[in-house]
Amino acid sequence: MKNAENVKSASYVQINHEIRSIFAKEGVILLSSPEAYATLEWTRNYFNQKPIEGYFIWVKKKSGASNKHMLHDFFTKSLSKSNKPSSCRKRYFHRNLQRLQRCKTNLKCRTQRLFKGNSQRKFYAQNEAFPQLGKNDHVLSSIEFILEKGAKLSSFYKCINPPKKFKIESKTTLDNESSADFETAVLAKNGEIEMYESLFLNGEKSSGMIKLRMISDENSKISSHSKIVAKGGGKGHIDCMGLLLSESSFINSTPELVNANKNAVLTHEAAIGKISEEELNYLRSRGLSKDEAVNLIVTGFLGEVPV
Amino acid sequence: MHALLGPNASGKSTLTFSIMSFPEYEITYGKILFEGKDITHLPIEEKAKLGIALAFQNPPAIKGVKLSHLLKRISKQPLDMNYFSQDNDLLEREINVGFSGGEKRLSEIMQILSLNPKLAIFDEIDAGLDVINLEKLIWIIQDKLTRSGVSLLLITHRGNILQFLEPNVAHVLLHGEIVCSSRN
Repeated sequence: MKNAENVKSASYVQINHEIRSIFAKEGVILLSSPEAYATLEWTRNYFNQKPIEGYFIWVKKKSGASNKHMLHDFFTKSLSKSNKPSSCRKRYFHRNLQRLQRCKTNLKCRTQRLFKGNSQRKFYAQNEAFPQLGKNDHVLSSIEFILEKGAKLSSFYKCINPPKKFKIESKTTLDNESSADFETAVLAKNGEIEMYESLFLNGEKSSGMIKLRMISDENSKISSHSKIVAKGGGKGHIDCMGLLLSESSFINSTPELVNANKNAVLTHEAAIGKISEEELNYLRSRGLSKDEAVNLIVTGFLGEVPV
Repeated sequence: MHALLGPNASGKSTLTFSIMSFPEYEITYGKILFEGKDITHLPIEEKAKLGIALAFQNPPAIKGVKLSHLLKRISKQPLDMNYFSQDNDLLEREINVGFSGGEKRLSEIMQILSLNPKLAIFDEIDAGLDVINLEKLIWIIQDKLTRSGVSLLLITHRGNILQFLEPNVAHVLLHGEIVCSSRN
């Protein structure tokens, strides 16, 4: 891949159903899921069925790879050095999407990530590439995390320029003493976003948090279903907050807690509403116009991607 | 410097929000003149730009927005951090989220100073302050506002602050009306 030297640890490029390139530095094993299934017998434990596509990544302990985020969604990394696509790549990529659209094929991205014991990973993604997936594109992003004993995962995902229809699915299973914190911030405008996030606290002293910040602007609809299932004794929390910015906004948020262990504590909080007039007036009293005040509040609501 | 005193629910905060044109308050009679101009029905931000600044008694929390970020957006003059050398941490916190009473007052005065106003309205700025923070606040007001010729409207129902800041005129508000005034 032309820009492979700028990739920190691993890169996987797939256009339609064709794998274009795979690159992984020492300490990282990156294979297509079918190849992983065929060549690494132990990986079969992590597939529900024999996979036909997707990628499988294995970060070996003490690989020298950064503990911080090293994986971007493969769409973003396929385009350019800085995640901002150059004009020629943009056209190429967009042409592919247009072909997909004519074929009425949705763009699908399914990934599965396994975190071995006592590993810590932080995963940050801000999909700057999705401006290219604009007015008429439908995208499904499906990701699964498997955390073994002692593994810890922090994930921050922010999407402020989503495609026309965007479906995000994530499933995380946690073993003993593992933890996963997910923060997702989305802003929808002239489109739809569906989010399905589930955490399975299977191990003792496992813990998980799902934090959602949703903003629905004009002509948009956001649906979220967040679920935590506790079989092991641990803690889980769901925090869903939504803001409606216009009369044509819609948010449906459903937190679901399933507790099968009396030693587990599951909690949730949810609120959907409009921007507080009190906050708006306060900022306006500092000389900001109403639009500037709204933008400031929205930016603060969605949060910053951690550095 | 004017002081406005009155018991709870006498209309002190209502007056300040009406001056600032907050939408919940409708002026049904009279005018607000500022520097000879009728500003009665100007929107909030226009009044702020003209030079009227309000320090809230109970400022709302703005989650996700750091105080430093807001100061950067609204600042008409750099904030002299000599006055706030021990308060740097406050700048990196979300506005009014988990602030103590004293921290809220400090945050308000920082914003007031940044706006470089012609008229500063302090709505019960002394409420809930301990002696140390009250002295600090008074010192800042005297040094940065009074001496610069900024007009002040101090609103209080206890009057403690008036021992240190001597107003030129004091008014008493009762049931929404000024019942007496006294010139110093």
